[in-house]
Amino acid sequence: MDQVLAGDEAAFRQLYRRHSPRLYQLVLRLLGGHEADAEDAVQDTWLKATERLGSFRWECAFGTWLCAIGLNVAREQMRRHGRRPEAAWPEEMDPPAAAPLDLVDAMDLEKALTQLPDGYRTVLVLHDVEGYTHEEIGTALGIAPGTSKSQLFWARQAVRAALGSRQKGTIA
Amino acid sequence: MTDPHELTPAERRAFGSLPRETEPPRGLEDHTVALLQARGMLAVPLRPVAGARRWQPMWLVGAMAASLAVFASGIAVGQYLGARSATIAAAVGMRSTVAEQARQVQQTGAAYVAALAALLQHADTSDAPDRVRAREAAVEALAAAAQEVTRFAPNDPLAAAVLRGLADRQRVASPQQPSRTVVWY
Repeated sequence: MDQVLAGDEAAFRQLYRRHSPRLYQLVLRLLGGHEADAEDAVQDTWLKATERLGSFRWECAFGTWLCAIGLNVAREQMRRHGRRPEAAWPEEMDPPAAAPLDLVDAMDLEKALTQLPDGYRTVLVLHDVEGYTHEEIGTALGIAPGTSKSQLFWARQAVRAALGSRQKGTIA
Repeated sequence: MTDPHELTPAERRAFGSLPRETEPPRGLEDHTVALLQARGMLAVPLRPVAGARRWQPMWLVGAMAASLAVFASGIAVGQYLGARSATIAAAVGMRSTVAEQARQVQQTGAAYVAALAALLQHADTSDAPDRVRAREAAVEALAAAAQEVTRFAPNDPLAAAVLRGLADRQRVASPQQPSRTVVWY
């Protein structure tokens, strides 16, 4: 880390290669699978992380710290593209009602995630994929833990509805 | 009935099976490094990175020409200066101020480069042994100059890069020497 702070390119590349796969996957998923946006987000994240590296204190793992920056960068990017990272289900639509599923294909699940509103997808990815608690999500996104719980519920329902209709289509 | 607030085991398995890591596109690392270098947050490499230019045959042709130029210019300059200055080193040593010495370095450097340029025009027609001698002389002159510069300015990146390049060249020419061990940490 000190070598990166001193501007050592080889040390930076080593750090980049170790942590970028997780960062890239996270922002790619948060940004709904848009690869070009995810690449921009990775680059911006490393830029910000390198700027702030001097203040990193090992109070958490470096990868966790980096992904927290990546989360904020991804949300900034949603705003830049005219999207609302806090977006919930469109008001004119009723939240889908769907039963929990007993058979889920991972690829279908990944596709269903891309169809969620940004806000729902963010909470769902952080909670069900990344393992954040509602308190951590609340802190990271600047929302109440209760809001996180509510959004998670509706996000899961939306995913179930999408997967359910896909399964019905397959059977039919 | 299953609680809709909770994930079913199948759903939990599906979320658990989603990849946590994906290799970013190849070029992204280089772009990121270039961006950080442009912002001054990473040092610009003195040594070419993997895949970048290294010491090329064209450089060696230039070095050959340089060495011949060194010989030719040495004779020419010696004749021209005559008794006034038996050697360039003596002339430099007689200068009383740093400014005059710097000017002397500049003048002799310009003469050196001009002689190289003249010699390069004849490089293709030179005999092979001459080319080899020219190359060695050019490299030795270059190494000596770079060493003097690093004595004068130990942190000068260009001189350091030249010395590293020359060391690389020597390693390539002497493959029996053990290669450096790369330590990952």
